[in-house]
Amino acid sequence: MASGYPPSLEGPVEVKEGFLCPLCLKDLQSFYQLQDHYEEEHSEDVRHVPGQLKSLVQKVKKAKDKLLKQDGDDRNESSYESFYCGGVDPYMWEPQELGATRSHLDIFKKHRAARIDHYVIEANKRIIRLEKLTSFDRTNMDAGKIRAMEKSVVSWVNDSDVPFCPDCGGKFNIRNRRHHCRLCGSIMCSKCMEFIPLPVAYKLTSGTREALCVPAGSPGQTQPPGAAGPAGQPASRRGSITSLSSVSSVLEEKDDDRIRCCRHCMDALLKQQEKLEEKDHVPDIVKLYEKLRLCMDQVNKKAPEYIRMAESLNAGETAYNLDIAGGLRTEVQKYYELIDALSKKILTLGMKEDPQPHPKTLQLQRMVRYTATLFIQEKLLGLMSLPTKEKYEELKEKWKEEQERRLQQERQAASEAQKRRSELEKNRPRLAANGDARPARITKGVGWLPSSDAVHRGGGELDDPLLQQISNIESFLRQARAAGRLDEVATLEDNLRQLLDEYDLQQTSHAILLSQQLAQEESLQQEPRQRSRNPGFAVQGGEDGDDDDEEQQRDVRSKHSESPKMQTLAIKSFPPLGESPPTTDAPSLNPFDEEDSTPLEEERSNPFTEEIQKEQASATPRDKREYNPFEEEEDASTWEVGANPFEEDDDDDEEDDDEFGTGNPFQEGPGHAHTASTNPFDDDNDASVSYEVIEEELLLQQIDNIRAYIFDAKRSGRSDEVELLAENLRDLQRTLQEQKRKPR
Amino acid sequence: MNVTLAVKQYVSKMIENSGPGMKVLLMDKETTSIVSVVYTQSEILQKEVYLFERIDSQNRDSMKHLKAICFLRPTKENVENLIQELRRPKYSVYFIYFSNVISKSEIKALAEADEQEVVAEVQEFYGDFVALNPHLFSLNLQGVSRGRSWEPSILPRATQGLTSVLLALKKCPMIRYQLSSDMSKRLAECVKQIITKEYELFDFRKTEVPPLLLILDRSDDAITPLLNQWTYQAMVHELLGLNNNRIDLSRVPGISKDLREVVLSAENDEFYANNLYLNFGEIGTNIKNLMEDFQKKKPKGQQKLESISDMKAFVDNYPQFKKMSGTVSKHVTVVGELSRLVSERCLMEVSEVEQELACQNDHSNAQQNVRRLLQNPRLAEVDAVRLVMLYALRYERHSNSILPSLLDELQRKGVSERYRKMVQSMVEYGGKRVRGSDLITPTDAVAITKQFFKGLKGVENVYAQHQPLLHETLDQLIKGKLKDSQFPYLGPNALRDRPQDIIVFMIGGATYEEALTVYNLNRTMPGVRIVLGGTTIHNTKSGGLAGKEADP
Repeated sequence: MASGYPPSLEGPVEVKEGFLCPLCLKDLQSFYQLQDHYEEEHSEDVRHVPGQLKSLVQKVKKAKDKLLKQDGDDRNESSYESFYCGGVDPYMWEPQELGATRSHLDIFKKHRAARIDHYVIEANKRIIRLEKLTSFDRTNMDAGKIRAMEKSVVSWVNDSDVPFCPDCGGKFNIRNRRHHCRLCGSIMCSKCMEFIPLPVAYKLTSGTREALCVPAGSPGQTQPPGAAGPAGQPASRRGSITSLSSVSSVLEEKDDDRIRCCRHCMDALLKQQEKLEEKDHVPDIVKLYEKLRLCMDQVNKKAPEYIRMAESLNAGETAYNLDIAGGLRTEVQKYYELIDALSKKILTLGMKEDPQPHPKTLQLQRMVRYTATLFIQEKLLGLMSLPTKEKYEELKEKWKEEQERRLQQERQAASEAQKRRSELEKNRPRLAANGDARPARITKGVGWLPSSDAVHRGGGELDDPLLQQISNIESFLRQARAAGRLDEVATLEDNLRQLLDEYDLQQTSHAILLSQQLAQEESLQQEPRQRSRNPGFAVQGGEDGDDDDEEQQRDVRSKHSESPKMQTLAIKSFPPLGESPPTTDAPSLNPFDEEDSTPLEEERSNPFTEEIQKEQASATPRDKREYNPFEEEEDASTWEVGANPFEEDDDDDEEDDDEFGTGNPFQEGPGHAHTASTNPFDDDNDASVSYEVIEEELLLQQIDNIRAYIFDAKRSGRSDEVELLAENLRDLQRTLQEQKRKPR
Repeated sequence: MNVTLAVKQYVSKMIENSGPGMKVLLMDKETTSIVSVVYTQSEILQKEVYLFERIDSQNRDSMKHLKAICFLRPTKENVENLIQELRRPKYSVYFIYFSNVISKSEIKALAEADEQEVVAEVQEFYGDFVALNPHLFSLNLQGVSRGRSWEPSILPRATQGLTSVLLALKKCPMIRYQLSSDMSKRLAECVKQIITKEYELFDFRKTEVPPLLLILDRSDDAITPLLNQWTYQAMVHELLGLNNNRIDLSRVPGISKDLREVVLSAENDEFYANNLYLNFGEIGTNIKNLMEDFQKKKPKGQQKLESISDMKAFVDNYPQFKKMSGTVSKHVTVVGELSRLVSERCLMEVSEVEQELACQNDHSNAQQNVRRLLQNPRLAEVDAVRLVMLYALRYERHSNSILPSLLDELQRKGVSERYRKMVQSMVEYGGKRVRGSDLITPTDAVAITKQFFKGLKGVENVYAQHQPLLHETLDQLIKGKLKDSQFPYLGPNALRDRPQDIIVFMIGGATYEEALTVYNLNRTMPGVRIVLGGTTIHNTKSGGLAGKEADP
């Protein structure tokens, strides 16, 4: 535990924290924004990073848990290290193209075409014959005449050629008589024979008739077209001539409302009929489903737009109009309601019918409904609410204040920076004279904000053309937002981001230069220092080279690895703390001055700028609090720890005045060690959570959960579920009571 | 070289090809598991695929408003079923994809059945394997061997599976096989044959160093599948049975209804993805963290939730919350069950002895320990048999072997005849006589120094001392030191450079321990990419079965 170790001395160490982007050190205000930032800015690593962040969060928490078991802690660290160092996780292998494929469609089509040609000809023949067969007036004709007519359509197979029924194999005789298919002329027995009802025949032929000749009434007509087709007339005349010869016809019943045919022709006709019906028929489910998809598309388009608005409004920005956002919200919600209603309708389609639809149909309906529910859950419940009018006003005020304060800070910082620089110059000779008597300290800085960039800048920043550009674009952006031109806003935002990046880059390189210069100077003054810097989380130490300090440094380091607070800070760091300052006095002055060293840190490591340091330190925490709304109450204590317990200096008097406890980096070590122990991460329940507590917490959790479910159920009107859930809730609450009564 | 992604891309492409509208996915038994392992239901629902049907199912209604995507293995039965389907189509359009090479005559038969012109696509998409992890696939084939050679019906399927992996990854490899195993050689030849026959298909962009296919035989290392594992994925498979990334928890006492069967897929479950290869102890801590994370996300101040605005705020966070609560309860249940089984079956002790048997060379100590454990009434039947098997394999030729008395002990314990016979067949399957490379002896010297080394630091983890033989083999392969005399190339050409893309196939099944080894090699060897596959993925139970197969 941090407080358990003797306070020690340490070189000036600067700790950056907040939700820093580990790659560009930009401070994001929340974990989620950091994630978003990643997705936008470092998209190459996108897949990699959320996992890393997650695991880091876990890592830090684990470290906290395991505090008391030091060795276990170390092992974990190393295991994570091994998890992310070197090699490539198979999950992150480079993008991969679609595997090999081979298409057989061409061969398939070739074979099919050959087959289909034949098939189509047969089908067409069949229809034409059917049309002929239906084209005369059957009711007013005697059986023999009809038979003769029918015989004229297709040549009948000779009776003598077919001794057995080709379908069932039964022998033909006087009882089992031969029948001819009127469509293809083949022979079968009465059992194998099928009949085409006339209405069906009309329906099937209606298409051709319309196409071939004079319109013959509406499709599906029942009136037999006595003089319908010109083709019918000669046929009937011819039929009447031959009719006399038919003797057997008397024995057959008269076919005045149906046509005999074989099974095969019947089959083919039925298929054709089915196809015809499908052509015009659109089932209800398809109609509803199409509407459903339309709504979903709308939501997919509108919801992101709304979310952007709501986010901005909730932050108190004035870019969007509250009413417009409200309107959009209701619109989106309407779509959701529509989706809900439509999918419900789909679910219950055909439920009341008798017989019930096929189980698969029902399953399909259920799945569509389920998908719609998932969609709603995912999107609607993710829709954040808008602030009320009053609240919005409040937020706006806050935002404005914040902006102003930022501006002020920038100015202040600029002048400070100048002051510091001049002081630095002054102090240098003195420093060279007694380098070893230097007070050391830790300071904690804020996250890397664009505004804090400004802090680091020297004076005259307005001369920077980039900055001008930025402010220009900002004002454009405001105008565009006021005008509600969303797409323009988007492009402008993009531009702005690019510019800011550019600016950051510029500043950083500037900083590198500066730091290198300084380093050189200092090396001349034989002041071995060391710092380390981790992306995101920087522990910067500048230190005197004498032995005492070296030892202190070591202490500090051990403290680093042990202090839970430090672990928490490590959240923002990728490489584990083990990589922080090397114990030996590294003669290499700037092992870290690659891209992220900044003038500020450089300057801060200068021990002779007490005043400024103090001011800054007290300013920065405030700053930080604002930009990390997610840190909440822990902040204060965070700062407390940040306040350096390793000081040898004597400025205790300020210790308690400072609101944040960090303000003063020059405090007496021991006093501070105690302060540090108020850190909630140190030794209060968090580190030693007992299982009962967890259980209770879980219960509470569960209760919350169920409340939410109830709420949800009520909203969607599932009253039976509400009841069930309420019962559960009561149960849980009872358990909780019991749990509480038990002495822990 | 990511097999999961390869299959996923195939499936996505199929769905994409079919355009918008409601769809049904028509599959056979095998393709069902191939698809379900890479896609979750909710994922595929979002792509408008609402129904999943088996081509051989009779209970299908005609639904002309659906488009059908058929993903089928090119088997006789499937083609026949498909022909019947096309004669009387139940859906409006058919997009047909075969998971492997299909013959021209079958295409013709299908084309002739398509009288109504409902087929819009006929393709081969080579997803003919079950992709369990990005670097691990299985063919789900049991009983692959008959004696020392292939079960005749299985060899073609194994060949198809393996060639489809090559096609899906677009690799036309050089082939090496294990000389001591006839089965390896046969399979290597069959694969080569396909590559030669379908040379047009295997005509991929040439890479500087050609990929390598290494075919191994399980019998060379029969010990690995017998050891208890302590990484999350391996444990789940061992103790609960992981079948196509699904586990059946219905036997768990007091399980809630919606947790009867859970899916563990690294694709959709971040916690699982991060903890797949961590050991049980670490999982314990991580699960606790997960819970804390979960608690943190819950709204502060439960009492205040009464007010409407609080509720609203809560519901605003609801989807993530609900998702998280699902993950939490799933993993808490799984880990809870694992630890229950571990303590119930004294697996910690068993594992310690197993590791000792596998990695150390102290006969008297080993036999004492085995005896002592066998006396333990809580020891499960499987574990007892496994210990004896390990002992038998390890001290097969030892002069003071106490195997007979151990077998007696098993009998006294009431272990069934079937199990006891397995011990002997295991020795036949994976004994010294069979092994090509020396599984145990050469590592001994290394092991001793390691032991010594560890003695200074303390043994890192008693339960994970064993390194599968595969590690050694691959290590040598990567360094270009794998002996041609033991693992010859098929054909005249040999690889001059060190291999970069390696596909390892284990006849007789791979294990999750080996998957972990490959995973670690992938991570620690930059520039090397290894994919591991097996006819199946073993746990100790099926490892025992492999032994049974050796029994004629």
